[in-house]
Amino acid sequence: MASPFESEAPEAALRAGLERAKRERDVRYAEIRFVADGMERLRVRDLRPEQVTRTASRGVAVRVLGDKTWGFSCTPGLDEESVVGAVVRALAIARASGSLATRPVPFPPRPASRGSYTSPVAIDPFAIPLEQKLAVLDAPVRALLGKGKPLRSAEAWMDWTRTHKRLLTTEGTDVTQTFTYGAHGMQAIAVGDDGATQRRSFPTWQGGDGFQGGYERVAGIDLLSQVDRVAAEVVALLSAEPMPAGTRDVLLESSQVGLQIHESCGHPTELDRALGTEISLAGGSFLQPELLGKLRYGAPIVDLVADSTSPGGMGTFGWDDEGVPAGKRHLVREGSFVDYLSSRETAAALGRPSTGTMRADGWNRTPLIRMVNVSLEPGAAGGTLDALLNDTADGVLFETDKSWSIDDVRLNFQFTCEVAWEIRHGKRVRMLRDALYTGITPRFWRSCDAICGPEEWRLWGVTTCGKGDPMQTMQVGHGAAPARFRGVTVGSGGAA
Amino acid sequence: MIGADDLLALCKEALAEAGEAEAEICAVSRHRGFARFAVGELGQHMDIDEPLAAVRVAHGARVAEAGTSRLDRASLVRALRDAAEAARLVPETEGFPGFAGAGDALASPPRFESRTAHATAEERVAILAPAMGAIRAAGLVSAGALETTARAIAVATTRGCARAHEGTVASFKVWALETAGAGGAAGYGGHMHRDVTKLAVAEETERAVRVARLSCDPIALEAGTYDVVLEPPAIGELLEWLSMIAFGAPEMENGTSPLAGRIGERITGAGISLTEDPVDTSDLGFAAPFDREGTARRRVALVEDGVARAALYDRTYAARARTASTGSAMAPDASLAATIGPSALQLGGGDAASVDELVSGIERGLYVCRLHYVNGLLDPRRAVMTGLTRDGCFLVQKGRITRAVGNLRFTDSLLEGLARCDGRTRARSAVPTWGSDGATCAVPAVRLRDWRFNGKSQERAKLD
Repeated sequence: MASPFESEAPEAALRAGLERAKRERDVRYAEIRFVADGMERLRVRDLRPEQVTRTASRGVAVRVLGDKTWGFSCTPGLDEESVVGAVVRALAIARASGSLATRPVPFPPRPASRGSYTSPVAIDPFAIPLEQKLAVLDAPVRALLGKGKPLRSAEAWMDWTRTHKRLLTTEGTDVTQTFTYGAHGMQAIAVGDDGATQRRSFPTWQGGDGFQGGYERVAGIDLLSQVDRVAAEVVALLSAEPMPAGTRDVLLESSQVGLQIHESCGHPTELDRALGTEISLAGGSFLQPELLGKLRYGAPIVDLVADSTSPGGMGTFGWDDEGVPAGKRHLVREGSFVDYLSSRETAAALGRPSTGTMRADGWNRTPLIRMVNVSLEPGAAGGTLDALLNDTADGVLFETDKSWSIDDVRLNFQFTCEVAWEIRHGKRVRMLRDALYTGITPRFWRSCDAICGPEEWRLWGVTTCGKGDPMQTMQVGHGAAPARFRGVTVGSGGAA
Repeated sequence: MIGADDLLALCKEALAEAGEAEAEICAVSRHRGFARFAVGELGQHMDIDEPLAAVRVAHGARVAEAGTSRLDRASLVRALRDAAEAARLVPETEGFPGFAGAGDALASPPRFESRTAHATAEERVAILAPAMGAIRAAGLVSAGALETTARAIAVATTRGCARAHEGTVASFKVWALETAGAGGAAGYGGHMHRDVTKLAVAEETERAVRVARLSCDPIALEAGTYDVVLEPPAIGELLEWLSMIAFGAPEMENGTSPLAGRIGERITGAGISLTEDPVDTSDLGFAAPFDREGTARRRVALVEDGVARAALYDRTYAARARTASTGSAMAPDASLAATIGPSALQLGGGDAASVDELVSGIERGLYVCRLHYVNGLLDPRRAVMTGLTRDGCFLVQKGRITRAVGNLRFTDSLLEGLARCDGRTRARSAVPTWGSDGATCAVPAVRLRDWRFNGKSQERAKLD
């Protein structure tokens, strides 16, 4: 596949590093991972090219498991001396850290993986002329600003990432993967006479509009087609009533269901969090191992799956960074909590096989358990959003996330959305601003009584999922159809 | 790691070889020793290189950027040529004033300590061993991290700007926990210093253990308004969010900043002063003395006695606003996002001799050690934020801490809350932020009246 960035793995240096690791008697396992990331970031704000950037980063990561524990090192150098040097440093760290270990890290062997994976790409985004891409961004910004006051600011963006990854391990794993990711969207900001501001975005909030694929996806997003609606809604929000506080039946459009999954199912099912190894950034999880197979996480209609094979998903790959093949597994089956996102080490602690979710953010980070595509299966009964609205006598439809927060064991969440619509007997009777809903994770998912069908199901991509210390960001996916939740606490985020 | 002087020489050589008339290179070389422990084990001990150069080329007001992780002359020259090719194709950037010239002389705050720069894996293990042991001996579970980082940054332009700087950061954070990952009682301690040997490891570990023990058997408190004392990590996290939504020129320009259109107006309580002070020479200072564009950083009063005074600018936004750059273009991260904001926000201290003095002024309220998952995007114009307490939340009755309280969710306006601030400690602490460039907040503990809590957390899930 054509790429504007140097991407050829330094085969001899990687092999030399692997052989160096194999020579050490106290090395139980080692992995050498070459990563070359090429990124293009384009942003047009208020008709100015706010960001026109291409950046390339490449290097080699080395993770070594010694007698007792891990050591990690990395190098931007691609020659044999640099890679072997990183192996030696990682081993020295593993040995130094071993003096504090109370027990050896469990790490069962597994068969070697071999092969390659490449994102399906019909049109290479890096082959499209820069001026063509900037024109695609300029047009909706110009059209939005052309609406005049009170629309104050407009922005459109297009991000492309190509990642080449080569993984060699002492177990014989030898896999090569090439990923192409994109993100594309726009937002408008309106400012009222009183200085109050409102924002409206499309296709969803910035950072939630990612996908795996090529430039062919841009035509399907078609920002220009949404300019009139986005402009009208952001202006209308300035005079909309705030969401009244109370308890209401809540309907979430599919991208908001995606973020709800992300925070209240994806993260708490990460086994490293549940076991306590992510405390220094984001906390633990209420989904403790003793609840596996016993906790009623949601209503019987709720099936949540971790699927690293979903076509076009940001969490789709061939193998994870420990060489475990991609697959599809239930995390929640018919409402019951049944499995975790796991690594080989954490799964071994529960006597289970890894669910293959270890990924690292580039060549200078260690792999962590990351969400793949964690998705809500569409409702078995099917149905459109219009049908769900028609089935709702009194409720509120929330669209497009604006703020997000959840506690350190992933129970108490609170989201606000850019816009909400009061629903009476199937009709959108009025727009509401600063709409907030809050709840407790299992109580919320148990209140789910309707999920739209496959015709409304869409796979969203989060480009900015943060985890780890030092921080890593990762591409993850969430498939969802709109869904309804009964008796949810709502209010106004601006009325505090 | 490449030193700052070598980095600057490399930048100059690359500019000369590329031959572009108007170009800029900002190169950063960072080496991090990072020992992360959890569940009583040192499971992630890492040796990390983070090299990055961001180059910009301008053809008139047409500006494009390229980045590379390879800090050698050929790679920098290639990046300059890539940026030059793109610059021919992009529209003009309104207000672009050209890249920086030689500029003002730099302040030279103390920032580098070789003992941090050269800390070894064995030294980090030796520092952590007694801390982890003390928590184990207390019957609690340890987690946390020790970081020793050295960073070199250089900026060179074709207009004669040539800056180089080296700094170090040592950071220790520690948790003592009732359970490894299931929540429950928890205590936190943390300290930053440029010298790893001056980290208060034993004191902060003892503090984490003490708070964790006090946090056992919490009572559930109903939502409502409470007077609160916020420890530095708690108020620091709120101010970090304020930094993201309030002080940058882009937020001023698009109207979403709470300061937009209000310079000279009171936006919060009298007595509240917020200052960007990147040249602080005390132990609270970690920032480089120049920004990504090579502009000398300086002290900027953002809010004085509750009155909005100024925002922060890079060169282009400053030109459009007909003001001068404040040296606030943040150092590049992996995405090369152009971020403008504080690198060293400081909240002025008060006259309380201690946190106990602040607590003594509360009839019934809460003492909050730390916050979790704050989000400040609810209503940026009013700086409405939500988040939860974490790692120690206690009921205060008649001026005394009486017992632990289960974690609570707050949703309130920070600026309106600071208007109800009637006490701050004299002593201040540096709190690390998530920003690049070793950004920190230097803050006292504060007392806010009538802070609004709207929910409880850590209710255990019920089995069927």
